[in-house]
Amino acid sequence: MTNVTGAGAAGQPASAVSPSPGAEPPAREPPPRSRRGSLLSREMLRERVLGLREGSIIVVTLVVAIYFAVNTSSFATSTNFKTLLPYFAPFAILGAGEVFVMILGEIDLSIGGTYLLAPYLFYKIATAGLPLVPSVLIALVACMAVGLINGFFVAIVGISSFVTTLGMLFALEGLTLIISHGTPVATPGAQVHATTHQVTHVVNGVHIQLPETVNHISTFAKVFGGGVYSELVWALMIVIVLQTVLTFTRWGLYTVAVGSNKLGAAEAGVRVRLVTVRNFILCATMGGLVGILEAVRSGTVQPDTAGANEILFYGIAAAVIGGTLLAGGSGTVVGALIGALFLGILHDGLTLQGVNANYLLFYLGLAIIVAMTVNIYVQRARRGAGSG
Amino acid sequence: MSDDVLRVEHISKRFGPVTALRDISLHLRRGEVLGLLGDNGAGKSTLIKIISGFQRQDSGEMFLHGRPYAPKSVDDARAKGIDTVYQDLALIDELSVYHNMFLRRERVHRPLPFLANREMKQQARSALDEIGINIPRIDVATARLSGGQRQAIAVARTVNGDADIILLDEPLAAMGAKEGSMILDLVARLKEEGRVSIIMILHNYVHVLQACDRVSMIQEGVIALDKPTAETSVEELTDIVVNEYRRAREAAHAE
Repeated sequence: MTNVTGAGAAGQPASAVSPSPGAEPPAREPPPRSRRGSLLSREMLRERVLGLREGSIIVVTLVVAIYFAVNTSSFATSTNFKTLLPYFAPFAILGAGEVFVMILGEIDLSIGGTYLLAPYLFYKIATAGLPLVPSVLIALVACMAVGLINGFFVAIVGISSFVTTLGMLFALEGLTLIISHGTPVATPGAQVHATTHQVTHVVNGVHIQLPETVNHISTFAKVFGGGVYSELVWALMIVIVLQTVLTFTRWGLYTVAVGSNKLGAAEAGVRVRLVTVRNFILCATMGGLVGILEAVRSGTVQPDTAGANEILFYGIAAAVIGGTLLAGGSGTVVGALIGALFLGILHDGLTLQGVNANYLLFYLGLAIIVAMTVNIYVQRARRGAGSG
Repeated sequence: MSDDVLRVEHISKRFGPVTALRDISLHLRRGEVLGLLGDNGAGKSTLIKIISGFQRQDSGEMFLHGRPYAPKSVDDARAKGIDTVYQDLALIDELSVYHNMFLRRERVHRPLPFLANREMKQQARSALDEIGINIPRIDVATARLSGGQRQAIAVARTVNGDADIILLDEPLAAMGAKEGSMILDLVARLKEEGRVSIIMILHNYVHVLQACDRVSMIQEGVIALDKPTAETSVEELTDIVVNEYRRAREAAHAE
């Protein structure tokens, strides 16, 4: 039960100030015990899961996963898992960056732009002669500059973030078309070499030599998106690091403070403009990173603005479905990961079921609305239950 | 004089054609609770903002513990021991009670940048207990607390931040009688401990006489009254205001 006026938490006497100084603090309420007396009773577990901000989206995603696993035999296989990864790892990374901006009550649409531009910058710098990894780093630094500009216009000039980042999105996409002349190019360092060698097999007691072809990619490519699990590892690492920053550092604390009460935070001494700019830099860089990973994975750098715009929406959707409020004030990076997983499972599962490509988008849209509705109702139930 | 922790002398402040403060001089003694009165728009909040470093005065000087005091910012004033509880409390609803109390002064696990939550929780709990504020759970979001508890936390934050002069801007606004008296009890307890000196902006004369050692009233940009509360009364305070009102009405009729 929530009792916002007067009594503070669960049934304590309504006094803000006790009559005598040094009075003993009231005993902590013991956790509710079920009739069975065990702490891991079904009620406790349900309260714990729902108590998590991510609880509702975890439940929704599990439901969807189980549905596909049951209905489609090819879903719950390791091959399919590998197919699923590129459907969700990029969105998880983009969503993670967006969470930091959205908690502030802002939004960053320009991640589509850094997604498109960063691999081209990488290409230009690498073909100009610089080694691969420094080229990636310089491209990412350019994305940080984009974030700085976004943050400048939002926090200092005072233009709404939607408008600022929309303008930046178009500008960056246009810039990419200009410098690329609209032509796709091969991603530096991502070329696949095939080597063929003779392998001896024993068939019916006879030794035969058969040629076998193996595809090699460079270590650089393996690390930066080309390896099968590369994007997944990046996504997990980034989600862990960013969730830790959000929950356990001052960066995260001040982000929530500014998003929850900008004026109050400023009065308390939080450097609001610094916090804002910092988060835009982070988000833009995530966009660029995903762009480079995808370019390495596919082997081509493509000036595909439609694809960039689509991926930008998926990234934002992952963050929102995962529990970060568009209005700001609270958010979760782990939730964005699960939101991305939800989107990926849906996309992948429907494709496996042989759903007509035309219907795919329609079902995806419906599923998102249904998932958000369930999310909201679970959150309301959670608030009503009064858990901390 | 040597007992003054804060002295402001001949402060003036104008905002364009409007003169908020003409010639304000007042002082605050160590361990004292000073009530600041004045009509709406009399300039009380402006004076508080100048003392707290939020604004700079046009002319006049301030002295803190006898030394010249000219804060460059709110942070600067805070570093020098002057902290303010604004009317909107500056609390972050989404954050826990203890995070609010430590805002901008968080403890971290040096050299790593991670918040030392357990340590802050313990210190917040003992700080609240010490000044006698009863808040059962300090790890809940501040949004869940009552108005009185929120005000108490906002005050506790300044004490926790080692402020020795606390400015309270209308702490009893929008508060019922019961919660209001709890805040006044808190102020009394802080005074008893002798660690802080307090300036409070209040509107209710009964509260002023009950909670403050001295009262200063701002009227027409100057201090119209500066007396120990023991030497004045609700009638005297009311008379000054009523006379001002009469004068204003006559001036309006004369036009």
